[in-house]
Amino acid sequence: MKQSKRRVGLLAFVFVLTFSMLLAGCSSDSSSSKGNGDQTTVTFWHPMTDVTGEAVEEVIKAFEKKNPDIKINAVYTANQGEGQNEKLLTAVSGGNPPDVAYFDRFEIGSWAAQGSLEDLSKLAEESGVTKDTYYPFAWEEASYEGKLYGMPTTTDSRLVYYNKDHFKEVGLDPENPPKDIAGLEEAAEKLTIKKGKKFKRIGFIPWYGQGWLYGWGWAFGGDFYDPETKTATANDPKVVESLEWIADFAKKYNVEDIAGFTDSQGSGAMDPFLSGQLSMKVSGPWEVSAIKKFKPDLNYGVFPMPTPTGENHTTWSGGWSVVMPKGAKNKEAAWEFMKFFSGEEGQKIFSGIARDFSVIDSVNEELGYKNDPILKEFVEILPNSHHRPVMTQGSLYWNELASAVENATRGNGTPKKLLDKVNDKVNKELKK
Amino acid sequence: MKLKANAQVVEQIESPKTPTGKQLKIVPKKKKSKWGQYKHGLLFASPWIIGLLVFYAIPLFSSIYFSFTTYSILQPGEFIGLENYKELMHDPLFWKSVYNTVYFVIYYVPLSIFFGVALAMLLNMKVKGMAVYRTIFFLPTLVPHVALAVLWMWLLNPGFGLVNGFLNSIGIDGPAWLGSETWSKPSLILMSLWGIGQAVVIYLAGLGDIPEDYYDAAEVDGANWFQKTFHITLPLLTPVIFFNLVMGIIGAFQQFTLPYALTQGQGTPANSLTFYVMYLYDNGFKFFKMGYASAMAWILFVIIMGLTAFVFLTSKRWVHYQGK
Repeated sequence: MKQSKRRVGLLAFVFVLTFSMLLAGCSSDSSSSKGNGDQTTVTFWHPMTDVTGEAVEEVIKAFEKKNPDIKINAVYTANQGEGQNEKLLTAVSGGNPPDVAYFDRFEIGSWAAQGSLEDLSKLAEESGVTKDTYYPFAWEEASYEGKLYGMPTTTDSRLVYYNKDHFKEVGLDPENPPKDIAGLEEAAEKLTIKKGKKFKRIGFIPWYGQGWLYGWGWAFGGDFYDPETKTATANDPKVVESLEWIADFAKKYNVEDIAGFTDSQGSGAMDPFLSGQLSMKVSGPWEVSAIKKFKPDLNYGVFPMPTPTGENHTTWSGGWSVVMPKGAKNKEAAWEFMKFFSGEEGQKIFSGIARDFSVIDSVNEELGYKNDPILKEFVEILPNSHHRPVMTQGSLYWNELASAVENATRGNGTPKKLLDKVNDKVNKELKK
Repeated sequence: MKLKANAQVVEQIESPKTPTGKQLKIVPKKKKSKWGQYKHGLLFASPWIIGLLVFYAIPLFSSIYFSFTTYSILQPGEFIGLENYKELMHDPLFWKSVYNTVYFVIYYVPLSIFFGVALAMLLNMKVKGMAVYRTIFFLPTLVPHVALAVLWMWLLNPGFGLVNGFLNSIGIDGPAWLGSETWSKPSLILMSLWGIGQAVVIYLAGLGDIPEDYYDAAEVDGANWFQKTFHITLPLLTPVIFFNLVMGIIGAFQQFTLPYALTQGQGTPANSLTFYVMYLYDNGFKFFKMGYASAMAWILFVIIMGLTAFVFLTSKRWVHYQGK
């Protein structure tokens, strides 16, 4: 009798132990969803560091001041965006996502198609947030099949930065930067100083920084997507032409030597453009604040990405947004934060520090972007700017184009063939 | 009750050694049901059994099913039969990743055995302070893969790296290492060989297992170092080499963390560091193609299984166990 009692006790003990362990494992954050008192904690995942990191901190501070009942738990998540959202993906499918995530806008289409983002249309309607506040492209990129899935926060455009002192040094007119491809090549050649296999200075690397194929393809007059037929057009002859130009450039300067140069470079204060090892670089407006922070005396200017004819200059704009992943727990508090971040007040703080353009025109005006000699150029090209196609395979297309450029510069196949392959692969997925 | 339980444990431990006749006598005497015998054992093992079922067995077997579907993690997808497997056969990046992985296995596994055995023999010498040397060679295995990646990116930095700095000082203009299509995989092999300590420890244990008698006898017969190494040490080390070979093949085919951290998941330059599991991961977690990724996983499983079976079959010819 005594024995069996003990046995029951033992059994019970083992079971309790096992289940308490299981339960503890499952409910790790149940205690953190409520802060002190009636405070609601909103978990916010973002990948921002440096200047943007500071900017987002200020936005959060301002928001918490205005909404004392909501606490934002900002979690830095490395590599979120540009096709690297695996952590968010598993969190969504596991039913335990953050309430808000900072999200690359061009991926909203494919994520919404997978049903992994909360539809914000209704919340926006109730709060009176409308399309008219924003640049139309930003709103469109954040929508999929007529429904809103993200609140746009930033936008940008791409121009070529150039070092005016270097231009003077080699006898180029610093106030008259190249307009066409031939001029760019000529300037690059003059600016480059190469000793053996090592570059002391490189004039220009087309694919470095923001020199994605999207930019060059559009600069050459090509197009990447046909929204009518919903098909990719990566092998558009003009796009092929642009990749051929990039491949020739790689051949001329020997791509492995360039890789040796670019792999030696850092970011932030060690960026080769800032350290004077690179004379021209395609980049976005955020470079301005980095220069101000790390190398304020740099004598530089910007010019639009050259085109073959020297006319019809264009660029492309991306940008970020805040989304609510499917299954977010504190929807209302999360929406308040999203609305604030994307609204005029949040935009003024964020854009003011990060120097990323706001998606609201009046904010850009108010922050003086249209008066700044450098930033003015970025804002002024926006009307002629392109946007990456809103499609279900945005990430795949991006990755495929990036590896096509890699392979073309390394001489693994002709640009035409590589882009044909990209097109086939992406269109096959689009049809599914 | 405690005593009784202990007695049972002792019985269980000793049972393999006791003659089977004796064991057979005991079992019918007790007349205990099987459940009674295993109850406590199973109970205590239950957390692990549940864990194995929930976190290994179920995902494993459901992935077979998923490999026949267009499952995307977020959506269940539809059943498409062998379509994923057919598509893989026509996917150039799949074949590129197979090539990269096989390249890595072919170079890394033999090299790791060669250097592992050589290091173990060096560290088996009777020199003062050997424990310190052994520790030094084991230390790199404690470095996490991501830290190792960052560390070696600096060492192999084409402009300011120590490796190229050293090569420069002896008059060689070093390559771009991780930025070069030709040198990226050799760089990776070099980095992986740095973390060889785990295998060395196993080889050392194997070396310690070889009785001194053989060497004494060989000494008497006038054998030199080469003869002792190739006729005593290596043959008697083959069981350990066999173990490390199998584990090495399995590990090398699953190479992921290091190249992924090095290239931020891009496999640059020009996909020369896109390894099989990296491409699998991209498909599963970036392109919403978990079904496709599951198919890749099962192909990899079959390859590893086949190779392991092959090594096991040949092992009869070259693995020598002591006392046989």
